[in-house]
Amino acid sequence: MQLHKDILVFDNVASVCENIQNEIRSQIFSVLHRRGAVVGISGGVDSSVTLALAATALGPDKVLGLMLPERDSSSESALLAQKLADTFGVKTITEDITGALEGFGCYRRRDEAVSVVFPEYDPKTYKMKIGIRQSGLKTGLPPVFYLTIVKPDGSEESKILPVNQYAQIVAASNFKQRSRMSMLYYHAERLHYAVVGTPNKHEVEQGFFVKYGDGGADLMPIGNFYKTQVYQLAKHLGVPEEIIKRTPTTDTYSAEQTQEEFFYQLPFEQMDLMWYAFENNISATEVAPVMDMSADEVEKIFLSFHRKQQTTDYLRRGPIHF
Amino acid sequence: MSDTNYDSAGIKSSVLNFVIDSSFGDKEKIDETTFLFREGYFDSMGFVSLIAFLEEKFSIQTADTDLVEENFETVNAITDFVQKKLTIKSN
Repeated sequence: MQLHKDILVFDNVASVCENIQNEIRSQIFSVLHRRGAVVGISGGVDSSVTLALAATALGPDKVLGLMLPERDSSSESALLAQKLADTFGVKTITEDITGALEGFGCYRRRDEAVSVVFPEYDPKTYKMKIGIRQSGLKTGLPPVFYLTIVKPDGSEESKILPVNQYAQIVAASNFKQRSRMSMLYYHAERLHYAVVGTPNKHEVEQGFFVKYGDGGADLMPIGNFYKTQVYQLAKHLGVPEEIIKRTPTTDTYSAEQTQEEFFYQLPFEQMDLMWYAFENNISATEVAPVMDMSADEVEKIFLSFHRKQQTTDYLRRGPIHF
Repeated sequence: MSDTNYDSAGIKSSVLNFVIDSSFGDKEKIDETTFLFREGYFDSMGFVSLIAFLEEKFSIQTADTDLVEENFETVNAITDFVQKKLTIKSN
């Protein structure tokens, strides 16, 4: 198989959409025996394409868009999600999950861990995020997470996150995705609908999702599509331009943070091609000239992919029965 | 609690014991030349735990620039890295 830069460009995007729409209809009505679909929408491109596909497959009257903001959500997310729903004629409900998260102690547990690393951190005036350094991908080592605080004057400070504090911040923050999943299923069960999940191929295969959080759904129509393909679908379906142009963010921590900075370490155009080459066993020497990298750099990136697949295998597994 | 007087054999033995205790792989196959990351014995959490262990046990500080494969790929490489750090500290 020959790698080239346009290998993931659809020849016929309309036909790809039609196949997905047929599959959504068939799975929801004939396999799951549900009357419609609930989709959590965030104003990001993945959830927007998922909602657009569901609305065009089932009819807008059989789809509910749920907006699930919390204290740290960007206000832009709600505006874009509403614009999307209006574009496709889908009814929305907003459920602010801040109270549920306070009940779980999500913010308190997270801030307690942040304060161990930065004693001066005050959640009322500081912001925080965690991320990995881009250069880490080419070191041959697993990524190390850094905690960054943004002070009231806008200056930032970062430190390597000790393992216990890293785990506590992630575990506390995951209440957000799991609370959203609970609310999605509340509405789905109330309406006898299915929950349509929004993860794309990278999120599923690299484990960038929360088990029983955004990974909890009845079907995931874009789970086999690369990010650049999701953008092709978005343009074809008529997703609003502001959503397509928006930089993908985690919208999870109080400080703004891109998905590239948090997890992927590569721009999506490169990530897609590299992942395609990796899963199709295309050699590093063949990939290197296409990506303008050395074969050694490609090998290191492949190694990091392999490691991500291995270490996130646990997330993709259902309960083990024996 | 940190210890300050370590020779190469002492460092190697401490690191090897830590690696064997904290990795998920086949512990019997691990020795000082095993590639800890390439062969999947350690992931991100294991790596950060290893850094914390080295910093506490040998009272050293790791900088961002230290986080390269040559310093951590095997127990032998980690031993050399710790020795280098201890030498810098004592000068």
